[in-house]
Amino acid sequence: MWLFKFATVLLVVGTVALVYLDAQIRHRFEGHRWSLPAKVYARPLELFTGQQLATGQLDYELTQLGYRWVNHAKAPGQVQKTNQGIVIFSRGFRFADGDQKGHVVEVSLKRNKITGLRQTSGASIALLRLEPQLVGGIYPAHNEDRELIQLNDLPNGFIETLLAVEDRHYYSHYGVSPWGIARAMWANVKAGAVVQGGSTLTQQLVKNFYLTDRQTLWRKLIEAPMALLLNIHYSKDEVLEVYLNEVFVGQAGKRAIHGFGLASRFYFGQPLSELKLHQVALLVGLVKGPSYYNPQRHPERAIKRRNLVLSILAQQGLISEAQKMNYQGLPLDLTEASQVSRYPAYMDVVRQQLQQHYQASALSNHGLRIFTSLDPWVQHQADTAMVEQVNKLKQRHGNIEGLQGAAVVSHRGSGELLALVGDHNGGYAGHNWALDRSRQVGSLLKPVVHLAALETGQYSLVTSIDDAPIALPQADGSLWQPQNYDHKSHGKVPMYETLVKSYNQANVRLGLQVGVDKVLQQLRRMGVEQSIPAYPSVLLGAVEMSPLQVNQVYQTIASNGFYSPLSLVRQVTEANGRLLSHFPFAVRQSASNDSIYLLQHEMRMVAREGTARGVYRFLPKQQKVAAKTGTTNDQRDSWFAGFSGRHVATVWLGREDAKPTPLTGAGGALNVWGQMMQHLAYTDHEDIKPQSIDYYYLNITTGKAMPDNCPNGVWLPMLKTLAPPINTTCGY
Amino acid sequence: MYNNEITPFKHLLLICLVIFLGGCAAPGYGPIVEDLSVQARPSERMPSSSTNAPTDTLVTSQAPTLVVTAKPKPYVAPKADVTITAQPISNQVATGSVVQEIILPVVQESPLPPSNQAVVEQLLAEADQLKAQGKVTQAVIQLQRAQRIAPREPKVYARLAALQLSLGEASRAEQLALKGLTLVPNKNSYQYYFWKLIGASRSHLGDTKGEAKAIAEAKKYK
Repeated sequence: MWLFKFATVLLVVGTVALVYLDAQIRHRFEGHRWSLPAKVYARPLELFTGQQLATGQLDYELTQLGYRWVNHAKAPGQVQKTNQGIVIFSRGFRFADGDQKGHVVEVSLKRNKITGLRQTSGASIALLRLEPQLVGGIYPAHNEDRELIQLNDLPNGFIETLLAVEDRHYYSHYGVSPWGIARAMWANVKAGAVVQGGSTLTQQLVKNFYLTDRQTLWRKLIEAPMALLLNIHYSKDEVLEVYLNEVFVGQAGKRAIHGFGLASRFYFGQPLSELKLHQVALLVGLVKGPSYYNPQRHPERAIKRRNLVLSILAQQGLISEAQKMNYQGLPLDLTEASQVSRYPAYMDVVRQQLQQHYQASALSNHGLRIFTSLDPWVQHQADTAMVEQVNKLKQRHGNIEGLQGAAVVSHRGSGELLALVGDHNGGYAGHNWALDRSRQVGSLLKPVVHLAALETGQYSLVTSIDDAPIALPQADGSLWQPQNYDHKSHGKVPMYETLVKSYNQANVRLGLQVGVDKVLQQLRRMGVEQSIPAYPSVLLGAVEMSPLQVNQVYQTIASNGFYSPLSLVRQVTEANGRLLSHFPFAVRQSASNDSIYLLQHEMRMVAREGTARGVYRFLPKQQKVAAKTGTTNDQRDSWFAGFSGRHVATVWLGREDAKPTPLTGAGGALNVWGQMMQHLAYTDHEDIKPQSIDYYYLNITTGKAMPDNCPNGVWLPMLKTLAPPINTTCGY
Repeated sequence: MYNNEITPFKHLLLICLVIFLGGCAAPGYGPIVEDLSVQARPSERMPSSSTNAPTDTLVTSQAPTLVVTAKPKPYVAPKADVTITAQPISNQVATGSVVQEIILPVVQESPLPPSNQAVVEQLLAEADQLKAQGKVTQAVIQLQRAQRIAPREPKVYARLAALQLSLGEASRAEQLALKGLTLVPNKNSYQYYFWKLIGASRSHLGDTKGEAKAIAEAKKYK
């Protein structure tokens, strides 16, 4: 009797347990299966007729995107060289503004300039947008990362390979395979050790998906019934699809690579659908031991494992012996693009900005897609220039202890941030020197003084300014006596020369004439919000700003006096493409077009003949740049800021402890700026001259206009209202 | 992934959360596309009496750096289950016929010359199409794409400004038109167009003096 009772209790308990397990299985399987990290994308490269690219840029970008060079591009992700240029078979991509299909387009190039885009049909097209590079993610605490795939994303031979190696009878067993267990046991007994597991793919999934790794008895007991239940409720294909996304295939630092979709990106830099059989064999082989067979760390083990998988395929008649030999002879074909986050400083700001709008869990769990303006080429050049030039400076000056650096680059036309370097060696740990630290900006502020003067409408570039020594009483009764860098005075000089030669005494005098408060108001209009006390020393840059803030000010000058906040997130969408947020382009006029035109002219003179002229060691003579150097007291900070036709950039160098360095602005930061700009594409166009301005041929000593056959004159733009009468003589 | 061990309680919570947030995603909860721009506050508008030279009254300024200081909105969008798609991409809707009445005449009166860049014309055409379909946000995105590709193309600013004005963003429209003006010192049709648009924006902002000045400027180029 008690036996019957016991059996009944057991039956009830068993049934309840089974019902409970069943509920768990169905809930997890049908519900929200994974938390997906937000994906962060760089800007997509837009190719259009007339687009000027930099030397090497297109190759670099295509490599980063995992494109493969072939003789005849006939599948997405392939690219082919032709006589005129290249043929690109682009991949489809879901942009924030909609889905875009892949295209086959021949891009004609002449000296890195796109001269035409043609489809295979011969029809020319206006624009080809490549898919953007995935540059990072915002990971949840457990650091699992994956890219979801569906069965129809699999390349040919994938399922066959996977099943041949992991579970030959997958489509015929019931979730567990007694035969598989028996075979494994036999193999283990024969070997005297555990050499083979009898788990089906279903069991492996149950183990990873529902249970912990701990080898507990409970786990062992429920694994098989759960696999059976899974098999009852769901089709083989459904279970397989979840397995493909769940499987653990590698580790990148703290980030765990799950699923074959991400594995393909991670190891090959390509979408899964593009993989060839030798690559498929490697991925499938990795399931057995992702760290032991890690192809990056142990390529010889990985090749061995891959070739074993290929042998199994041949044994089972899935490929011929000849195919096996062929594939086994191929290299691993791993991606050349580094898989470590290369953009720590930039990602840092992306994260900061997003956290203002999104909860941390939303960012790390919901597979949001973040579209940024990061320009991988510009970032690459900025990083390289920083590392190389800092090394050169150290060679020249001996080790400069604790030398740090930062660089910011934005797009002149839109105010979007293209690149950020937060550290002297490109990577960064701890401080992001481009944002977190503010330093005195020195002479970088002089253009703002000049702008404030020009805005009064009473100054022209030849207005005479006295560079005589100056002494100002301070609050404590002492005298402030700023000096020129060369410790000399230069008498009365035309206003433009005070900027070109960066004379301190003359600039202080100019600033005092205009009013320190006016200068500060101008600075605020250009995006510097912090409150700054109106001391005269401000006129020489006794104001602490981060490189990012400096770049904001120069961005406003570069975009003809229109302030727009430096931005880096363009759009955010859900995983399915639904648009969540976007950042409209907005501007605010902060200075008149006339004044900016004159200031830009002065700043170009600084680069042509003044303190910034060293940039032409790097740049071709015909390229126009406007720039300014900055050096603070005792050379604690070396600054350089300016812009070309397309880019606005700021570079800072200095010691962590803010002690003096051997570097001036021109001797330090200029080199990083110059090398970087040298490798960026540039477009030159005439500045658009406002109607109120004309060019005059001027005698610099008298400030008077003269006939253009007179010697020693200078052509300068001036407000027509301030234009002097034209002398009939040369005035000497 | 969640904690691997099965925790029934947690799952119950999750179900509740899914149901709760699913409710949030139901239609009728307002536009989901957040406009996260920093825009000039009314007090920061360029005083219209001196469009070419901001005066000292324009001292308040925006956040200094990249920080996008949007109106802090409660976060609604990503739900516990991202597969819930309750609503199609929502779009901002033009704010009524008043604004349409202001800008339509401007647009019709002065057709702008075509850009000499095919890529610009194509993107503008796409934006027009999207706008016609009522996908205004998508149209703005296309126009911004054109702006990045051709930042010196006045036609792009003309479209952006007109679109912003049709959305009731008059201040933003005015500033975009002012920017456009700096690109076209010798192009009368553009000068006319931009000044008309500036006038319409100022009228919308209640700046009658500024509007009168803009209309007077426009007349010079008719």
